Amino acid sequence: MRRMISSVRDGRGFDLMLVGVPFAFLFALAGLPLIYNILMSFQEVDMFSLGSFIRPFVGFDNYAALFRQPETWPILTNTLVFVVGSIAGQFAIGFGLALFFWTSFPGASWLRGLFLVSWVMPGLVVGAIWNWILSGDFGVLNFLLRESGLIDGNIFWRSDPNFSLWAVIIANIWLGTSFNMILLSVGLSAIPGDLYEAAEMDGANAWQRFWTITLPMMRSTIGAIIALGLIFTLQQFDLFAAITDGGPNNSSNVAQYWAWDLSFRQYDFGRGATISVIMTVFVMFAALVYVRSTRHEVRG
Amino acid sequence: MSETARNRMMLVIALVMAAIYLFPLYWMYVTALKGGSEMFANPPSFWPSSPQWATFTYVWESRNMGRYLWNSTVIAFGSVALIAVLGTGCAYVLARYRNVWVDIGLFLILMLQVLPASLMVTPIFVGFTQVGLLDYPRLAVILAIAAKSMPFFVVLVRATFMAVPMELEEAALVDGNSRVGAFFNIVLPLARNGILVSAILIFMQAFGEFVYSKSMIQDVSLQPASVGLNSFMGPNTSEWNNIMAYATMYVTPILAIFVLLQRRIVSGLTSGALK
Repeated sequence: MRRMISSVRDGRGFDLMLVGVPFAFLFALAGLPLIYNILMSFQEVDMFSLGSFIRPFVGFDNYAALFRQPETWPILTNTLVFVVGSIAGQFAIGFGLALFFWTSFPGASWLRGLFLVSWVMPGLVVGAIWNWILSGDFGVLNFLLRESGLIDGNIFWRSDPNFSLWAVIIANIWLGTSFNMILLSVGLSAIPGDLYEAAEMDGANAWQRFWTITLPMMRSTIGAIIALGLIFTLQQFDLFAAITDGGPNNSSNVAQYWAWDLSFRQYDFGRGATISVIMTVFVMFAALVYVRSTRHEVRG
Repeated sequence: MSETARNRMMLVIALVMAAIYLFPLYWMYVTALKGGSEMFANPPSFWPSSPQWATFTYVWESRNMGRYLWNSTVIAFGSVALIAVLGTGCAYVLARYRNVWVDIGLFLILMLQVLPASLMVTPIFVGFTQVGLLDYPRLAVILAIAAKSMPFFVVLVRATFMAVPMELEEAALVDGNSRVGAFFNIVLPLARNGILVSAILIFMQAFGEFVYSKSMIQDVSLQPASVGLNSFMGPNTSEWNNIMAYATMYVTPILAIFVLLQRRIVSGLTSGALK
């Protein structure tokens, strides 16, 4: 007993306790649900069997039924469009801004930090604001586009099936651009300046310097940021809830919103779990890319 | 072009870009101050002609915002407290040693960091129903948020502990401190700022959390402000000035904290996510 106490006070026991309790907690509240999710995807789970552990085992029926549903493929396509569109927009605008703020001038870092407000705001609030900006008849975005002559009639961003997904993508690009920019800035500032001096002396112009120095030096940063972007866009839920609610007619629905919708609106927890399992595999893959590209830094 | 002229020009361009980027935020504040007809005017006015400050008191009372914000605060504080107590020690150990087990632990942490809440909510909800945790819905949400955000906190705080020189701790041990004493008297105070900034980041996230609260809290009197905002926005709403007033009151405290601590928050965030 005394040895145990002294080990907690002075030795490995202390470390094991510090690290053991959190991991036990994470296992109970993240590891077990993950396993439980897989189990439920092979069961029939509805409102009536919610409270019992013993439920009818249905094998791969949930998976088969899911892919027979007519909306499955459109929703998975939407997910792909949402992910690619959001990441492309966030990254392009974020990189442009990061390059601009890299040319240091007084106030640059403070202003750059200010952009991050989009990231600290609750997602629901961001969604509410964009819902109003994108409104069809009275939205300010339609007004600005009309005035600048880009469109003739109003675009009904939220209720036109051709635009509803893009309404969420626009909001998501706005939300994620600042985060991309800040991380890209960190990567840019780590490039040694004398590389550019040498290239300039050799007569390389700004365009050539960008392609031969900046991009290659940023390769691992860019990989990490794209993977992070993938992770964050697959986590995006609040904007769908606040702007289109997945509608009209699933035209802006994506997998992660659909999984919630199946469980909590249609009370088909088995099928919700099935979609969750499929998406979790994708997210894990993105996480592997992210971990790989930051591994050296993480190990410190 | 001289150095100062160039700097001024860059600053002006930067201000214009920041103004464009932050326009949605401006539009929220302006709309909140507009009256019922001005809100739908065409062309829209970019400055409220007669600011309607009464909207704020009206929305605060009619939507019962005090209760919503109180619930948000309870949930956010609960999550941060739980995460800080559990996560700090974990981050310390993961920063102190370097071996295979630490690598595995870090890998697990990073993998857990990415699981989307909207996918995890199904098994968590069913599991919590079965063990009866849903009878205490706010506690259930706090636990779920803690599991979701703790990995991020651990990554951020670990970066802080890495910056604390090991020699200081060793010196404390030589001076007769126990490990526990050295941890609480030497290491923790040195890492205090980093822990605080990470906790604030987690707080801001938890303050706006939506998925878990929406799914697990059925009782309106226990719901946080994010769920309240969601139910305020019906599909065919036209009360946009009221909704924007709601959003303003919800988000302004967070923005104030952010602007005050901007420099620290930005540097804390960047050190954890990439480095």
